[in-house]
Amino acid sequence: MTLKPPPLTLALLLAALAVPAAFALGLLSGSAGWGWPTEEIFWLIRLPRVLAAFGTGAALALAGALIQLVTRNPLGDPHVLGVTSGASVGALLMLMLAPAGLLLAPELGAVAGALGAMTLVFALAWRSMGRGLAPSASPGTVIVLLVGVMIGAACSAAVSFMLAMANDQQLRNIVFWLLGDLNGAALWWPVWAATGLALLLAWPRAQELDWIARGDAWAWTLGVPVAKRRRTAIFAACLATGAAVATAGSIGFVGLVAPHIVRLTGLRAARVLLPFSAVFGGVFLVLADTVARTVIAPAQLPVGVISAAVGVPLFLMLLLRRRA
Amino acid sequence: MTSQTSAHPKFDAAPNKGVGASLRLENLHLNAGGKPDGRMLIGELSLSMNPGERWVLLGPNGAGKSTLLVALAGLLSPNAGCILMQGRQLTDWPGEALAKQRAWCPQFWLDPFPVSAWETVACALFALHPEHSANEVEGHARRWLTEFDVGHLADTDVRMLSGGERQRVALATACAQGAPLLLLDEPSSHLDWSHQALLQARLKAWAADGGTVLAAVHDLNLAWTLATHALLLDGKGGAVHGTRDEVLRADALSAAYGVPVSLREENDARWFRVDLENPT
Repeated sequence: MTLKPPPLTLALLLAALAVPAAFALGLLSGSAGWGWPTEEIFWLIRLPRVLAAFGTGAALALAGALIQLVTRNPLGDPHVLGVTSGASVGALLMLMLAPAGLLLAPELGAVAGALGAMTLVFALAWRSMGRGLAPSASPGTVIVLLVGVMIGAACSAAVSFMLAMANDQQLRNIVFWLLGDLNGAALWWPVWAATGLALLLAWPRAQELDWIARGDAWAWTLGVPVAKRRRTAIFAACLATGAAVATAGSIGFVGLVAPHIVRLTGLRAARVLLPFSAVFGGVFLVLADTVARTVIAPAQLPVGVISAAVGVPLFLMLLLRRRA
Repeated sequence: MTSQTSAHPKFDAAPNKGVGASLRLENLHLNAGGKPDGRMLIGELSLSMNPGERWVLLGPNGAGKSTLLVALAGLLSPNAGCILMQGRQLTDWPGEALAKQRAWCPQFWLDPFPVSAWETVACALFALHPEHSANEVEGHARRWLTEFDVGHLADTDVRMLSGGERQRVALATACAQGAPLLLLDEPSSHLDWSHQALLQARLKAWAADGGTVLAAVHDLNLAWTLATHALLLDGKGGAVHGTRDEVLRADALSAAYGVPVSLREENDARWFRVDLENPT
């Protein structure tokens, strides 16, 4: 199979068109149908929500791309680090236990939970993140993934426990949180800041992440400080994931699939893969959220339902078309 | 594409003349995995490899050929003794400077993501020669692939290549790095006869340009024609090294491999025959 060179100009053009188009679509459609909203709705509800959707999608896609590269695993996604589950536990604890009227309780809980899970993953997997140079073909970062999955499993158990203990009203909030929901995501900028910082940390050395993906020991023999790059990338991924979960709950799928779709278009090098994954993830989630809040208006669907319903066939189509 | 008609992809890459790598091992002691409680692979070994020499690394499975190559690449600290590159301890070299001295080509490759063959070669060129433009790098990468007879596959996804083709891409990558010392782990394991001949010609040209080659091989006849020197590990801590005449002897080989090896000598050439039906 011949690989085409990256269609960089075309991709830039498409991104420059897709981002404003997605924003326009998101801003102009609402539960009452298509059209220009009142000023108050526009500034206080629509715009923050669309911005939050874009930032969340970008954060998850960037985290997914980073994790896939440094763990050399095509199945890498933000969930495997356990950060998503940790944030869920933090958020749910606050949903159930915080006194009524405390502002942003679940968001603060999610940040705390994400930080807690991240610290735990780093503490337990620090050694393997540094020393995981595998002269053989097997990836040296299996430990990081296993630690993440184990912490995720523990957190899932905690979530199930809380589900069993919750009353009806709490249950509703919890379920929406777990499914991923942008409803009432008023605070849009933290996830943008986190994504920007993550990109800033990872992008200048993105080429070296490519070499690590080809072989971590081999990259080391080329003079790449593999351990340092890997820690930075995983830190950046944790940061972006934590902020995304705090903003919109646990949204699956975008982080795993956005980098693969970008790769299938030919944008394979990490230097272009990282920013374009972020843009694709952002646009994707803005569109998914727009559908989620209009398709059965005035009721709203959790955005996770739409992102999976649209994304799975899209990904399978791209995958099978290339193989043919 | 930018590939021009050029028989020799010299870049400034082919071994830097006059600054060939000299590698010295002093009282090297190596256990399996570099662990203190690991099985002993090399009890004590002192030797030097100089520019222009072609070494073959021989020994039974698990004798420590790959481990020694990994240690010489700097990925593993020896249990005792030291490895000197250009007279300087391997651990004292900064990673980037060391990358200009030695290239390591592992035995296995895992390619998790789609990448074309020329992009794989370009990794090594980008890492070592960041000053070159992307077009130059692509041109050199394609020429190195042509050198190893995989030029026609330059745009192919490496995950779709056959074992031998993937191996030749890996060898082109190692050569493209431009370090004078090549550490090759079983470079001919997937190659057919004509490409073994090609590999041999390339490595001989490499050494003639002032480079040094250390390659782990199993085929004794290939080892004989390829090498000027040989290092034979017996897997129990012992090692024999020296010129190919001294090491590639029937008694030493039979003892190390545990099968009777006989050889026929004719006009300074040797042919080896391994009796696979009567292992000792």
